[in-house]
Amino acid sequence: MTCKLWQKKLKLNYSKDILDIVQFGSSILEGSIPNDIDIAVIFQKIPLKEQLNQSQQIKNQLKKQIDIPIHINSFDLYSFFHEGNFAKENILFHGISIISGDYFSKNFGLTPRVQISYDLKNLKKKEKVRLHYTLRGKKGNYGLLKKFGGSLIGPGIIEIHPEHEKIFVEEIKKITSKVKIKKILY
Amino acid sequence: MKKEILEKTAREYFCEGEEAFQKQRFNSAVVLYFKSLVALVDLYILQKTNKTPSSHNERFRITEEKFPKVYDLLDKDFPFYQQSYMQIMTKELAEVIKDDVQIMAKKTETKLQ
Repeated sequence: MTCKLWQKKLKLNYSKDILDIVQFGSSILEGSIPNDIDIAVIFQKIPLKEQLNQSQQIKNQLKKQIDIPIHINSFDLYSFFHEGNFAKENILFHGISIISGDYFSKNFGLTPRVQISYDLKNLKKKEKVRLHYTLRGKKGNYGLLKKFGGSLIGPGIIEIHPEHEKIFVEEIKKITSKVKIKKILY
Repeated sequence: MKKEILEKTAREYFCEGEEAFQKQRFNSAVVLYFKSLVALVDLYILQKTNKTPSSHNERFRITEEKFPKVYDLLDKDFPFYQQSYMQIMTKELAEVIKDDVQIMAKKTETKLQ
C-alpha cells in the first residue's frame, strides 16, 4: 500500500512563508509498505523557530487526516542544500509536492526519471518473451510500461517515473539479474 | 522527592548545555538542552497529575492527550535529539531548544540557574 498524499486533496492551512510541502522517502514508492511518512516543509528564509512551529502545525493537520506516523523536516533553501542535509538527494529526486501534486524538482525546472537497462544475453527465448510480456502486456492486458506510464527508449532500456523504480526492478530481476539503474534529472 | 530530582536534573542538564553552547559545541548543547526539557516536561506532568511517565512513548501519549502545547514542544524538538549523533546542529537550533526549556521552566516555576 502506498500513501500518496499528493492525490488526497488534503485541506491544509499554511502561510506564505512556505514554498512547498513535499512527501519523500519509502512511502512514495509504488509497491512499498510504509511504516511512516516523511515530509519536508520548504520555507522562505525565516527564523528556524518560526519554521519549526509552522511545521508542527502542518504535522498536526496531517495527523488528523492520515493514520501513519509522520516525520516532518523543515528547511529553507540554504539548509536544504547544506552538505549536512543527507536527505536532499532523496527529496530532490523522489519528492512530490503535496501542494501541486508534481515533482518537487520541477520548482528548479528539472524533471526526474529513472532509466533501467537490462541485459537479456544468454537468456532462453521464453525468458526474453516473458520479460516482453511483463513490460508490454499480453492478450489485451496492460504491461508495466502502460500501467505505470513508462517507455522503452532503446533496446534493453526503459525510462520510468522515480516512484515506480522498485516495482519495475523487482519484476525485471525475476528474469535477469543484469540490471543497471540510472537516475536522471533533465 | 521526584520533584526535587526532576528539578535538579533539569538544572544540571541546562547548565551543562549552557557550557557546551559557550564552547560552540552545538550538538552537545542540543542534547543537553533537550534532556533538560524532558525533565521539565516530566515535572509538569507530575505537578498536574501526580504521576511521572516511565518512557518516551508514555510521555508523548500523556502530553498529547492532556497537554497539547507541551506535546508540540516535545514532538517538535525530539527529532533533533534523535538525529544529533549524525547531523551537525546549528547555533540557531540550540537557541530554539534553549528557548523551549525556558518556556517549560516558566510553566513549572523552576529556576534553571
